[in-house]
Amino acid sequence: MTHSIEVDMLSVFAGPTRLMGPVSFSVAPGGTLVIMGETGAGKSLIAQAILGTLPGALRAEGHITINGSRVDTLPVAERAAMWGHELATLPQEPWRALDPLMRAFRQVTESYRFVAGHPPVQAREDTAEAFQALGLSGAEDRLPGALSGGMAQRVAFAAATAGKAPILIADEPTKGLDAARHAKVVDLLAKVPATGGTLLAITHEVAVTRRLGGHVVVLRDGQLVEQGPAKTVLSAPADSYTRALLDADPQCWPHSNPHSAGDVILTAQDLAIARDGKHLIDGFNLSLKQGERVALTGPSGIGKTTLLDALAGLLPPASGHVTRAQGLSRHAVQKLYQDPPAAFPTRIPLEKSLRDVARLHKTDWGFVLRTLEHLGVRPSLLSRRPDEVSGGELQRISIARALTVRPSVLLADEPTSRLDPITQRDTLRLLEKVAAEENIAVVLVTHDRHIADKWADRILKLAK
Amino acid sequence: MNAFARMALATLATRGVQAIIVAVIVGIVSFAMMQALPGDAAYRIAAGRYGYDMMDAASADAVRAELGLDQPTLVQLWAWLKTLAQFDLGTSAVYGTSVADEIASQLGYSLLLAAGAVVASLLIALPLGIASGLRPGGLLDSMSLAVSIFVRSIPAFALGIVLVLVFAVQLKLFPVAGFQGFSNLVLPSLTLGLGLAAVSNRVIRDAVVDAMSADWRLFARTKGLSARLTLTRHVLRNAALPVVTYIGVQLAYLIEGVVIVESVFAWPGIGHALVHAIFGRDIAMVQGTALVLGLTYVALNLCVDLACRGIDPRGRTA
Amino acid sequence: MSNQSEMMIDAGVSGAQSTLPVSRMTGLALLALLAVAAIGGPGLIGGDPAKQSLLHTLEGPSAAHPLGTDNLGRDMAARLLSGAQLSLSLAFLSVITAGLPGTLLGIAAAWFGGWADRLLGAFADAVLALPGLLLVLMLAAISPGSWWALYAGISLTLWVEYFRYTRQRARIVLAEPSVEASKLLGLGPWLLIRRHLIPEIGPGLLTIAAFGAATAVTSVAALGFVSVGIRPPTAEWGVMMTELLPYWREAPFLILQPVACLVLTVLALHLSVGGPRRP
Repeated sequence: MTHSIEVDMLSVFAGPTRLMGPVSFSVAPGGTLVIMGETGAGKSLIAQAILGTLPGALRAEGHITINGSRVDTLPVAERAAMWGHELATLPQEPWRALDPLMRAFRQVTESYRFVAGHPPVQAREDTAEAFQALGLSGAEDRLPGALSGGMAQRVAFAAATAGKAPILIADEPTKGLDAARHAKVVDLLAKVPATGGTLLAITHEVAVTRRLGGHVVVLRDGQLVEQGPAKTVLSAPADSYTRALLDADPQCWPHSNPHSAGDVILTAQDLAIARDGKHLIDGFNLSLKQGERVALTGPSGIGKTTLLDALAGLLPPASGHVTRAQGLSRHAVQKLYQDPPAAFPTRIPLEKSLRDVARLHKTDWGFVLRTLEHLGVRPSLLSRRPDEVSGGELQRISIARALTVRPSVLLADEPTSRLDPITQRDTLRLLEKVAAEENIAVVLVTHDRHIADKWADRILKLAK
Repeated sequence: MNAFARMALATLATRGVQAIIVAVIVGIVSFAMMQALPGDAAYRIAAGRYGYDMMDAASADAVRAELGLDQPTLVQLWAWLKTLAQFDLGTSAVYGTSVADEIASQLGYSLLLAAGAVVASLLIALPLGIASGLRPGGLLDSMSLAVSIFVRSIPAFALGIVLVLVFAVQLKLFPVAGFQGFSNLVLPSLTLGLGLAAVSNRVIRDAVVDAMSADWRLFARTKGLSARLTLTRHVLRNAALPVVTYIGVQLAYLIEGVVIVESVFAWPGIGHALVHAIFGRDIAMVQGTALVLGLTYVALNLCVDLACRGIDPRGRTA
Repeated sequence: MSNQSEMMIDAGVSGAQSTLPVSRMTGLALLALLAVAAIGGPGLIGGDPAKQSLLHTLEGPSAAHPLGTDNLGRDMAARLLSGAQLSLSLAFLSVITAGLPGTLLGIAAAWFGGWADRLLGAFADAVLALPGLLLVLMLAAISPGSWWALYAGISLTLWVEYFRYTRQRARIVLAEPSVEASKLLGLGPWLLIRRHLIPEIGPGLLTIAAFGAATAVTSVAALGFVSVGIRPPTAEWGVMMTELLPYWREAPFLILQPVACLVLTVLALHLSVGGPRRP
């Protein structure tokens, strides 16, 4: 039987260094293959090697066969001829993959016109049909910059699949999308095998793997960890790393220990909030007690971040009050940010930033060092600048920085949404531990309802 | 009214305001120049209006009364600007002719030189920038960077001197100065064009590098468009935007260059006339030429703005 | 791994830039040399830039005149050094006069916003309505041949660049989450400026300063050359070029000296910040 994709002992090298491999796998027509692993595991290199789009400095070794013919030995031009016709690609960040200066409709039409080879009139009809089918009506005349992430991904999907290529390669198709849009894109991918196509998906999310099924390849640091049918790998992983990856899926987390709440330290009364003249939230009430963990959920754009700013005293409310308990200074409320590198002065070594805070609040430097150790941060990292430290480490350093002020409330704005699953779980566990020890109340904004369920003592849902 | 027309009107309005600011600044500075001159201003203005031959004490008194030269300075300035607002540029103190007529005959030469400079710069910068951008880090790229830094460091008039000495005086390939025919255009255009190209070839190179390494370019290829279609339908437009925007930045250099380079080559244009007028304290001419140069600058900026709007559809719906 | 491969690509692309430190060192060394020459001035070689000697005109280099003499028999080396003193001191002063208020006002405009921001922005736009040299030319014409008029005109036009750059960058930086975090953590205005703003805009300001100095030196020479700036007999590079141009046939090495000085100065300034483009 002819496989759609067959990869035999594929490795990717940068000079003499092996970045990824060797891996071998195959997918039959109508099948699904999911490559799973964390950031830096080398997943994208496999997709690039199959497509023939590896950057010039990298080199692939091993056999790659597509629809029965070997391609790794072909010249670039012949491999490019397969794009759109035999291999379709869904890009990682759809916003950046669409031409910023061309309207959505035309970007799809040109695929029907030049890739599928339809005459102009028919190409436009086909495009209109595709927009209808994908729920993109109304987005025809928009430029990519005006599309939401989910819409941009569907436009990219329409543009990529117009040539009816039997194989679809999707590299982290859910990156940067929120929960609701996430599901839509995954559903779209799940339809591919159902209509006889072959799907190769790359993801770091267990939930996506679970939904797509098929054959699973697990990678770690460029090494193959294990592979097998999704059912087996997901239910009875053979390798401890795979198990850790599965355990890190919020759905599988154990419930956190409930915390016995103390006195009320922060209250919001009948709060109404607007930003840039836009009315966001009305009649919000909260009484936050010492040491309790509250999850704040709600759809994108409803004003979760703005609400946190109001609670932190950074934004005056349109009406209503935010009141701190007696004796709490305004520094008692601290924030954790979604993108850790953006939360530190960019060009300053981390130690300098931390020492500034310690000095201002007369906190002993030894305390800061002990906190860092407690959070598992190597002190040697402090001599680096924020962009030279991994996201997980930096988020822990920012927790330590907040603790230097001895806060009573931590407002955490999706602090782990940009971290890998295992790091996400570890970071939230640490946050839970620290909150319990120091009796700090935490408000966690998250779009993952499993995290909210498992981690928080109670959940506040914001709705229109 | 469609989005583009709305945008064009907004651009027009902004540049219109700039044109008024130019006129006011030029007016104020010319007025200050007039005040700074020794002697009786009324005589000079009368001479400026009617020419030295036609001027006498009576006409000077008439001017004094009309412009209120015995009034406070601010009132005088207001009267001065009012005259300017009526597009009355007066008479050249040196030639005795109408400033407007003088400028009308000079402007064409200056525009010719400016056009020649832009053409020369594009002829040099486009092929060099594109070729460097397609192979970033290559030999051509490194060499063009080094040469660009060096050429960019030679001020336009110094470059002009060197070109004259080498190509006109030494090799006798082109005429030294003046304007007798189009062979006169070569050296001044090249002088300015080299200066422009020294920077713009790097801008073009960067634009090409950015466009070629952009995610959207790779996606256009992997969705199945050929390299040629990707180039014509996506890369060119995206790469053109920063290049055209940068032409706007270079307009200041171009206008400044025209003024100085015209003087080097005795080019019968408006820039040369301005320098000459400043030297000869011919204030009506200074005001007229500076005003027209400033307005040309605004007009060229407007063209660049509209070109950018034409290339970039973003913001049109706003 | 994607990070690693990105780094590799960067390394490949930036092959041209890896030589940059060398070129910057060259630029800085040249600048230091020029600074010494300018500070020492004609006193360095003990010549008098104004002393004429009609018996020794257009001479080649000799022991008495290491770079020869000009059409009036004046010592070229002394005149070049005197010119360097004039150009560089004017450039240095106008960079300071333009840079300090420009930067401070830019930070203030970004920090406070509101009407102060709009007013300053409008003033900056007004200065930019005309090409810089045109404005300098006209301002210099109010008081011909005056060093002060040149200095004021150049400072006025250079001021805007610092202001616009600082305002634009500071706006972006001040809106970053890191500034919000620092404020929440209790950092005051002075620390916010030191930790966030200065490291972010400092390098860009240096580049503007170098280009501004180059613009100043060029403007002085250009105006001198077209006889509307510094007047003869002052030894100024542009003026010297005008004076020596007619003697190209007899003494080609003479006219090339001020040209070389000017090009070298601008080149040194450009190299010291590494590249032909402004930020």
